[in-house]
Amino acid sequence: MDEPKRSSAIGWSFNPRNDSDLNMYLSKLHHNSFLFVLQILDIGERCCLSEPVRVVEKKSVPSNALMLHGLPDVGLVGLLATSHIIGQLKMDEIAYVDSELLPPIVVLHEGLPYAPLRIFGSTNALAALSEAAIPAKAVQPIMRKLVEWGQAKKVKLVVSMGGIPVQDRQDIEAVKVYGAASNPSLLKTLSDKGIEILHGGFMVGPYALIMRYCAERNLPAIALLAQSFYNYPDPEAAAATIKEFSKITGLNIDVSKLVEGGEEIRLKARDMMKRTTQELNRMKKTQEYDLPLYV
Amino acid sequence: MAESRRRRRSLFDLISDYLEDLETLSEELFEAEMAERPSWDIKSCCIEPLCNVSVTPDEVVVIADLPNTDPDTIKVEQVNQDTLEIKAEMKRKIRFSEFGVTHRQGEFQHFRCLNHIPVPVDAKKMKTKFKRGILEVRLPRKRGVRIRVE
Repeated sequence: MDEPKRSSAIGWSFNPRNDSDLNMYLSKLHHNSFLFVLQILDIGERCCLSEPVRVVEKKSVPSNALMLHGLPDVGLVGLLATSHIIGQLKMDEIAYVDSELLPPIVVLHEGLPYAPLRIFGSTNALAALSEAAIPAKAVQPIMRKLVEWGQAKKVKLVVSMGGIPVQDRQDIEAVKVYGAASNPSLLKTLSDKGIEILHGGFMVGPYALIMRYCAERNLPAIALLAQSFYNYPDPEAAAATIKEFSKITGLNIDVSKLVEGGEEIRLKARDMMKRTTQELNRMKKTQEYDLPLYV
Repeated sequence: MAESRRRRRSLFDLISDYLEDLETLSEELFEAEMAERPSWDIKSCCIEPLCNVSVTPDEVVVIADLPNTDPDTIKVEQVNQDTLEIKAEMKRKIRFSEFGVTHRQGEFQHFRCLNHIPVPVDAKKMKTKFKRGILEVRLPRKRGVRIRVE
């Protein structure tokens, strides 16, 4: 019997001469399919055993703390806000995220290598910060791990700060901040603090997943989302979210450095913004503009 | 030899090859579209700003993020039918060391980018606005033939 020949990357060329040829070919195909299923199961098992994402702790982690997430998203709002808070509260690196799903990158600070996705901490706050864009395919497992880890460390509140892209952002003088929460009582807290609630629509990306996983696990979580540019760094929007964060948590954070140094920050954040936009496009972030179907 | 050449490969190998081919092809297409290169050029002391081009039914809108720019130095020019060039001078020179990079030497003084305009536009009627470090260029689209609906 002729071997079935692979004519291209996509197709096969095989012309059975008679029924016997065809039967023999089909039986071999079944055998190969069986091996294929076994290999898939084997890969699945190995993936489960090796854990695709792990948090490596370097110092002791405070429990009952706030946990902030500064992840690359529209306007780099959350990243800029969280990075500023880490500096203001003089938080230290206490853990980092290790995963084969992340690109092979180290960030050099004073000549020493660091993981791009790190967790900082002080006595009453934790903050996850990514200095590199997170690949779209890695967002789900990494967000799930961050939420699981936060729950294991008995985090009392998860706070995500981010942006909501708006058209003609440059014409908006006073940036508005909207809120979302993982449960009704937190929504009421936000409302009582004068934060307008996001009543409908879509959230896409890392913060959307954090909210979803926190809600699933009954972990209290809020999202503070400021009107922002989609693909230009927006330190003003970051400052606006920090102001609302201060109101809610009582932690007084000075944002003057963020506002005054805004132009320089925008210049320095260009490349990070460019790579983040590429990943956001892969996540179909623009679905946030879609009108939801409520029947 | 002949036997090894004719060695039967598992269905898994073939599917894996197929997926690899497909992935390589899509990456090549993506990279051809978005060629990876630095966003700066030290010889010309230029930084490429973040830009975006969008097309509406009536116009093409080009937006560029130009922080630290002297507004009087901004130049917008249609270099050919489908390319718009934006140039600007920074208020002050920026050195690599200010980005925390000490292993490269040089400083940047200008912004420059070329934007592809995907549909015919009337550049003479172009309108520009510069606010909060964001340059907005609006180019009316050229009208085609109007068809009468019966």
